[in-house]
Amino acid sequence: MMTKWAMIEKRRKILGVGFAVVLILVLMPLPAGSAAKGRPGDGLLSIHLVPQDVTLWGVGASQRFLVLGKYPDGLERDLSGESQFLISDPDQGKIVSTGKFVAGRTGPVILTARFEGQQAKARIEVAGRARKQPFSFARDIGQILTKRGCNTSGCHGSIKGQEGFKLSSNVLNPREDYRWIVEGGTYQVLSVEAKGPKIPRIDLENPEESLLLLKPTMSVDHEGSKRFEVDSPDYRRILDWIRKGAPYGDEVGPQGVSVQGIEVFPLESVVSLGGTQQLLVTAHLSNGHREDITEQVHYVSNDPKVLEVNESGLVRAAGSGETAILIRAPGHTVSASVGVIKESVVDYPKLQSQNFIDELVHAKLRRLKIIPSELSGDEEFLRRVCLDLTGTLPPPDRVREFVRSRNPGKRDELIEILLDSPQYVDYWGFWFSDLLRVTFTVAGSAHPTKAYEDWVINSIAANKPYDKIARERIAAQGYAAPKWFNHIALGSLATPEKIMAENVQVFFGRRLDCAECHEHPYDQWSQNQFWGLTAFYAGLKSLKDTVVVTDILGGGDDPMRQTGLIHPRTKQQVVPTFLDGTVLPEEKWLAPLTGLATWMTSHPYFSEAAVNRIWSNFFGRGIVDPADDFRITNPPTHPGLLAALAKDFEGHGYDVKHLMRTIVQSRTYQRSGISNATNKEDRINYSRSLSRPLQAAVLLDAISSATGVEEDFDYHEWAGGGSPPSGIRAMQMIPDICLSQFMDVYGRSMRKRPESGNPAPTLGQALHMWAGPTYTSKISKQGGRLQRLLERGDSAHQIIEEFYLAALTRSPTSEERAELLEFLRQRDSRQQETLEALVWALISSREFSCNH
Amino acid sequence: MKTSKCYHCEGAARGRRDFLRVGALSFLGLSLSEYLQLNSLAASQADAGAGKAQSCILLWLEGGISHVDSWDVKGDSGFKPISTNVPGIQISEMFPKISRHMDKLSIIRSVTTKERNHPQGTIETLTGHRPTPAMRFPSFGSIVSKELGARKNMPPCVAVPTPVDGDFFSYEEAFRASFLGAEYDAMILPDPSRPDFRVPDLRLPKSISSDAIEDRRSLLKIVDRNFRRREELADFKKMDTFQDQALQMILSPHVRNAFDLTQESEQTRDRYGRHRVGQSLLLARRLVEAGCRFVTAAGYKQGQWDTHQQNNKTLGETLGPLLDQILSTLLEDLDQRGLLESTVVIVTGEFGRTPQINPAGGRDHWPDCWSLLVGGGGIQGGQVVGASDEGGAYVGERPVSIGDLYATIYKAMGIDWTKTYMAPVGRPIYIANGFEDTPGSPITELI
Repeated sequence: MMTKWAMIEKRRKILGVGFAVVLILVLMPLPAGSAAKGRPGDGLLSIHLVPQDVTLWGVGASQRFLVLGKYPDGLERDLSGESQFLISDPDQGKIVSTGKFVAGRTGPVILTARFEGQQAKARIEVAGRARKQPFSFARDIGQILTKRGCNTSGCHGSIKGQEGFKLSSNVLNPREDYRWIVEGGTYQVLSVEAKGPKIPRIDLENPEESLLLLKPTMSVDHEGSKRFEVDSPDYRRILDWIRKGAPYGDEVGPQGVSVQGIEVFPLESVVSLGGTQQLLVTAHLSNGHREDITEQVHYVSNDPKVLEVNESGLVRAAGSGETAILIRAPGHTVSASVGVIKESVVDYPKLQSQNFIDELVHAKLRRLKIIPSELSGDEEFLRRVCLDLTGTLPPPDRVREFVRSRNPGKRDELIEILLDSPQYVDYWGFWFSDLLRVTFTVAGSAHPTKAYEDWVINSIAANKPYDKIARERIAAQGYAAPKWFNHIALGSLATPEKIMAENVQVFFGRRLDCAECHEHPYDQWSQNQFWGLTAFYAGLKSLKDTVVVTDILGGGDDPMRQTGLIHPRTKQQVVPTFLDGTVLPEEKWLAPLTGLATWMTSHPYFSEAAVNRIWSNFFGRGIVDPADDFRITNPPTHPGLLAALAKDFEGHGYDVKHLMRTIVQSRTYQRSGISNATNKEDRINYSRSLSRPLQAAVLLDAISSATGVEEDFDYHEWAGGGSPPSGIRAMQMIPDICLSQFMDVYGRSMRKRPESGNPAPTLGQALHMWAGPTYTSKISKQGGRLQRLLERGDSAHQIIEEFYLAALTRSPTSEERAELLEFLRQRDSRQQETLEALVWALISSREFSCNH
Repeated sequence: MKTSKCYHCEGAARGRRDFLRVGALSFLGLSLSEYLQLNSLAASQADAGAGKAQSCILLWLEGGISHVDSWDVKGDSGFKPISTNVPGIQISEMFPKISRHMDKLSIIRSVTTKERNHPQGTIETLTGHRPTPAMRFPSFGSIVSKELGARKNMPPCVAVPTPVDGDFFSYEEAFRASFLGAEYDAMILPDPSRPDFRVPDLRLPKSISSDAIEDRRSLLKIVDRNFRRREELADFKKMDTFQDQALQMILSPHVRNAFDLTQESEQTRDRYGRHRVGQSLLLARRLVEAGCRFVTAAGYKQGQWDTHQQNNKTLGETLGPLLDQILSTLLEDLDQRGLLESTVVIVTGEFGRTPQINPAGGRDHWPDCWSLLVGGGGIQGGQVVGASDEGGAYVGERPVSIGDLYATIYKAMGIDWTKTYMAPVGRPIYIANGFEDTPGSPITELI
């Protein structure tokens, strides 16, 4: 189960906030309620115990076991609740509740589970005595605050806490948590000083009167309701701690044994509606031991309509769908995503795979019992791949040619033609210019803007490795392209923290912005990490009226090596620090951005963010979606696929065309949009092609191409006015110097931010559709497609055919053709007007304005 | 005949929401004339807001008006205070005409904000939130539009005119609805003082007959049928509704007339002034009269109120007299038409200006304490709220936040000012965001 993804996650633990992602796909094919009863006779193949082999450290240590049954439909079901557990020697320990063993004395034990005539065994070694760990506030009290949900972002873990009491989310800052509890006072966002009266939340004189006990037991009013009972184990542990004088205890770190990471089992499980699945959570300790912490963590379902979870980690499938269970322990979070199915499919078809994408997508579909749609037809594939690779529609003759060809390799041939076409450079040049924000607004003159755009477009044309593009952009300084970005960014954003946050969003797919002012509420980014990274960009210099980035920190003659950047809360100077806390050595302060660029492009975040972003262009959604919002509370739908794509991308030298080729050659990409009974509801598992709206520039170019009338653009007057040469397309223009009512109405990116959302319908678009020039004058314009066909004397039949090919990349169905001909026949006296209306209908249709 | 009768009797009982539902169906179901009929019923529905105020005009003094030279004359101001028609209230001598309408507007002299530069200050003043790259906030006008809803087929939120220079790109965000949805974005209109002023896409080309419109609707149905059988997205249905609504606007004389300034008398057009600002303000009045909820009348070129140089000369010779003329005209006009009772008027820029004249004879940006005007729609006129300190630099008494201003207006409109929206990033947003992200409160002296 140590996938590439898990390894990436393991590396992340260097941050001290590591996490692992566990997928539990809950799938059970039974009627609700009968999950395990009655089912065993239905072909149970075998059972096994998890874990198979464990070492428990000391008498009293415990471990929970699961009994899993294998079934012919490929599913594993949790049978723990219905199984019988036996121990080889009753003196060695006992079973205290479902599957939970408590060690009674040292030595080996064999645990046997029995279920309906089948049995399975596991080996337990109870070793020596556990070394008594010194008390640690962060671990011992932090565990209770986490388990009881006190420090979630909805409660005291929110940015300012609740009712004046602030806790760091997941004990991110144990020192501060300790301070607010023991010293009292209220957290302030912009200062480390406490606000308000300092009333401690513990009472050393009368420990039972401590707010820390009165509130969660509802002995006094508590808006967060009851979290534990008076005299419960958690209550007693807190009380004991206060009685002993409420020490901070050991720092969890070098001295004590710390938790290095936590892991959840099962990684992927599927449950049928009404079925259950117990989760096992294991901590990996710094001394190499493993510890069952299933009952010490906090569980939250991302969607309680699909999954319910109780405080012991028992998941119940409440509705069909797929969601994640978030598991929080101090300093660590894991998420387990779980699928729930209504019915199992016993005769799941064998699926053909073109490459690893299909294998990984199919594996999940099989688990979820979703049968993917058929392969798309030639017309459907042609339109989709042309729009996705080149942002253009194929002309009617090309459609005919492609459909007619009997060459079995024609799809692969087409892909190569498109990847090598000038339209590919236009489209991906535009795409990357959106992402890297090529704008005129701040540069204020054509030369530097053009230089920056040229750098982007030349990089695409040369298929420059993506890591090289990133390094050039991150480390750029001064004035020349691509360094111009920094100048532009500074002009409009003006601060190192904005540039840093943007680079992290673009190249890591993560949003650190929230952490500028406070700890990130939904992720584990700390404010210190934010400012540590920002310090790489502290080398700003004013030159004339503008500020430029220099790749040098501190004055050369400055013995103090000041960055000049002050942490807004601690008011301390910040120095360039990587996310893992490593400070950039001073001898490297002469080129900090070069160091940053190297570090960023070799970080595991880099490739996964890149492949996810590119992937989202081809499917209308990212494996993490939104594509640049990776965070622990937003897990990927296909972690294995994401890891495999990233690995393949790295292995092929960050070759963007290779990545795209791999994607569009897959059967997953080439699926039809026509659904079947099993995949109608699916929108996240790539079981069929989904519609996605065309971006404003692509749509405008598509209208020009379908009507056969080029768009006349004008340059903005503050860019000098005038017009570009005729025949230029929307995606060849820099948006903010290109006047276009159409693209304004359809929500083009002005590149003020790197984001690019899908266009949403507006009233303005609807007005433009009825009365705007794009939808009116283009249709009937002299020299346009309709005029040419009429002049050529084409019949209504031929005109319908030609426009369907030009606009929708398909022939009309015979039903459509007959209906349209009849419609035209009834309006014989105004044939041309009616044909214009037909062209309008084609370019106004949803089928036209989407890729699908 | 039977069908049309049926529509009449059903339609008469339908409320606005019902109409919207019918609207969604009608694009596929009804004939053009049928749904036009339905729509005229919807247009005649009574106003929905529970408060007195039904709409709001924001006169936007882009760049930031110097408070110590206008509504809070102090310190080294080159202007003298004059009395107004409200005993005890004095304003700058720049505004003799406004001084005769002081009973209609109140002055808040202790507004305090944080942002010190134009784009950020504009966002703070027009959304109630300081900008952050982590998320975007809906504009005040969009919130009002969403809460009150569109009426009489008019777009609820409008801003006029389109700014002329590229700097606008920095401000656009302040007029957007953000996560509330594009239907509440401000519709931005061209400069109404130009002879060729025309709202784009509101008039069909002459070559397109009503038969052609009917054909287009029918053909769209045929062409899209297969595709929509395969997949029906919420956005597709939303577009159906917009297409209906758009057609109503295009075909309805009421909407076309609202945007047609030539229907105003020459005399009225002259009184507002034949320039971008004046005609924008006149159009704003026409639009709220016709049913818009929130209209921003801007039109000052970027930097006009941004008097870093020659403050006294610019204010005294051009900006002051012009504002005196147009604002007094608006107040008279609203009053005469009985619209002042239902229309909130706000006059403000994004911040005040430094109380000390700088070496260039100008004043720089100053958010720490500044003044704005508000009144109409049931909000008390003739009051002064708060005070600056002796020099006009800091709040002397009763600090007022932008959230307090919004809360006051929401109260006048019958909107729950304590409401929050949940932003997509999972952060709750106060619709009236006061100091330190706490809810603002209505200014009790005013409402």
